[in-house]
Amino acid sequence: MECTGRGLSADFSLTAKRNDSLSAAGRHLVFCFILAVSFAISLGFALAGAWPILPFAGAEMLALYLAFQYVARHAGDYERITVEDERVVLESVDGARTVRHEFNRRWAQVVLDWARGDGHCRLALRYCGREVEFGRHLTDAEREAVAQRLRQTIRNY
Amino acid sequence: MEAVHAHEHGHEHHPSGIMRWVTTTNHKDIGTLYLWFSFTMFMVGGVMALIIRSELFQPGLQVVNPDFFNQMTTLHGLIMVFGAIMPAFVGFANWQIPMMSGAPDMAFPRMNNWSFWLLPPAALLLIISLFVPGGAAAAGWTLYAPLTVQLGMGMDLTIFAVHILGMSSIMGSINIITTILNLRAPGMNMMKMPLFVWTWLITAYLLIAVMPVLAGAVTMTLTDRHFGTHFFNAAGGGDPVLFQHIFWFFGHPEVYIIAIPAFGVVSQVIPAFSRKPLFGYTSMVYATSSIAILSFLVWAHHMYTVGMPVQAQLFYMYATMLIAVPTGVKVFNWVATMWKGSLTFETPMLFAIGFLFLFTMGGFSGLVLSITPVDIQLHDTYYVVAHFHYVMVAGALFSAFAGVYFWLPKWTGRMYDETLGKWHFWLTMIFFNVTFFVQHFLGLAGMPRRIPDYALQFADFNMISSIGAFGFGLSQVFFLYIVLKAIRSGEKSPERPWEGADTLEWTMLPTPAPYHSFETPPVIK
Repeated sequence: MECTGRGLSADFSLTAKRNDSLSAAGRHLVFCFILAVSFAISLGFALAGAWPILPFAGAEMLALYLAFQYVARHAGDYERITVEDERVVLESVDGARTVRHEFNRRWAQVVLDWARGDGHCRLALRYCGREVEFGRHLTDAEREAVAQRLRQTIRNY
Repeated sequence: MEAVHAHEHGHEHHPSGIMRWVTTTNHKDIGTLYLWFSFTMFMVGGVMALIIRSELFQPGLQVVNPDFFNQMTTLHGLIMVFGAIMPAFVGFANWQIPMMSGAPDMAFPRMNNWSFWLLPPAALLLIISLFVPGGAAAAGWTLYAPLTVQLGMGMDLTIFAVHILGMSSIMGSINIITTILNLRAPGMNMMKMPLFVWTWLITAYLLIAVMPVLAGAVTMTLTDRHFGTHFFNAAGGGDPVLFQHIFWFFGHPEVYIIAIPAFGVVSQVIPAFSRKPLFGYTSMVYATSSIAILSFLVWAHHMYTVGMPVQAQLFYMYATMLIAVPTGVKVFNWVATMWKGSLTFETPMLFAIGFLFLFTMGGFSGLVLSITPVDIQLHDTYYVVAHFHYVMVAGALFSAFAGVYFWLPKWTGRMYDETLGKWHFWLTMIFFNVTFFVQHFLGLAGMPRRIPDYALQFADFNMISSIGAFGFGLSQVFFLYIVLKAIRSGEKSPERPWEGADTLEWTMLPTPAPYHSFETPPVIK
């Protein structure tokens, strides 16, 4: 997980990324290694006359490829909250899906909820009766710190 | 602006009763399902073993007919390998890998659910095959052609069962690889991973590499049986020896698919009860990888008697002997971990030491069998049966028992009864050796395996072995009692019942482990 507070032109900006312990290059390397081994084995048997091993190896490699693709698609998932002028912007990327919410800074409320029943806290922004949760890539301590910082930033406008 | 304490919302509907277990995607639930399934199959396979040993109690045919005896030996092998031992270690993987690597769950929880729920139908197919015309497959767990081309429809059910079990293993392996590689906690680099996690990563690679080979082998058997192909049928120009090559290219790594996670469990238990870090962690990782690589190069040592050039015999003999080097490194490291440690001998440690002692014996008898001229004498004798039971039972099963006793407090929050645990160990240890040690003598004297009747000269050792088998079987019912007693009325476990255990599940999670752990990953310094 990577949390960054960015100054820039915004009053407050934070990007939280999911933890991904294998780089894209590492994923390619691992997949190519497994593919090479599996292909070499099945090709060897195919040359010896046992060709039905080849399609099974192919199907398995396809399944592994799809699994790695899924992981890769979500490797770039992040949430970003930006407080700038009159607006609070919440941007969430989940695979190919990007969701963007805009709140009026004067009316936005920070919700830090410990009553969710599993021992963890929930962080959300509430505005005009609608509530949008964020901070799924943060630890509880980080959610608390972000809530405090956000309240201060929003209050100081 | 004040903090707002909002109502609890986002209530998720959690199914209860049986549907909780059918629909669960939680790694702990699925781990529990795997472990109970494997124990059930262990009991089923165990009953089959007792039928075999009842028939062999004395010479002559007393209990079952020879064909049913062959069905029992086949199903006992298939059920124990695919239904009991492999799922047991997948159960450990499900419970432990996320907790030990700081991941919230497995990478693909729904696929994880699928992986498990494919197992019961496969097991059912194997058991149902006993009741179809012609009975179950009676070709041994190795399913050698051309016998398998001639068997009844029980063989078809076995082929489908093997396919389903293979699919389950492949899905499980993909899940384990992606979980370990992608979901480790920040700071937990590869060389900080607990050895159990390492061993499962290597095992998952092995599974991915060899499962298509098994799938291809049984598919070719199926097409030979029903679709007019002649891959293995010599009558049509096929080559039965090709089946043996294919099967053992899968079968030998399969031995390590079972043994390597067992090494992982023991590598967690021995340091915990020695109160010392594992000696030679890096060499353990490399030794395990070496064993996995070498396992692909030795398959034909199972086939010396089919005939092969002397150069090939020498290659397979020396390659097989080479495996003793990394295995020796591991045994040395486990012993060195205990050396000058502050040792205590609770039940998990007793089973780990039992593993170390008996698995080493199984390794040595494997070395004996690796020598081509010796193997040609001992091939298909009870010496081989004794050898692989020292590896599979004393190796894998003892390690699984060590793992259950070690992690039961973490899983349930309850302690098992230590006195009963020690009784279980000693009964298992004694009866195991009574059952299998004497089989070395039977094999050396020339008793072939997979026969329901035998010459009078083998009577005494067979009787001893059968008595041991019944004692061993009853000892495992006692194990069930110990586990149920712990779950129902065991003393509450302290947070860290084993002071020497220092992996994440002990240091960063409460006992019992919460239903959801590491939703946000811990940072490893």
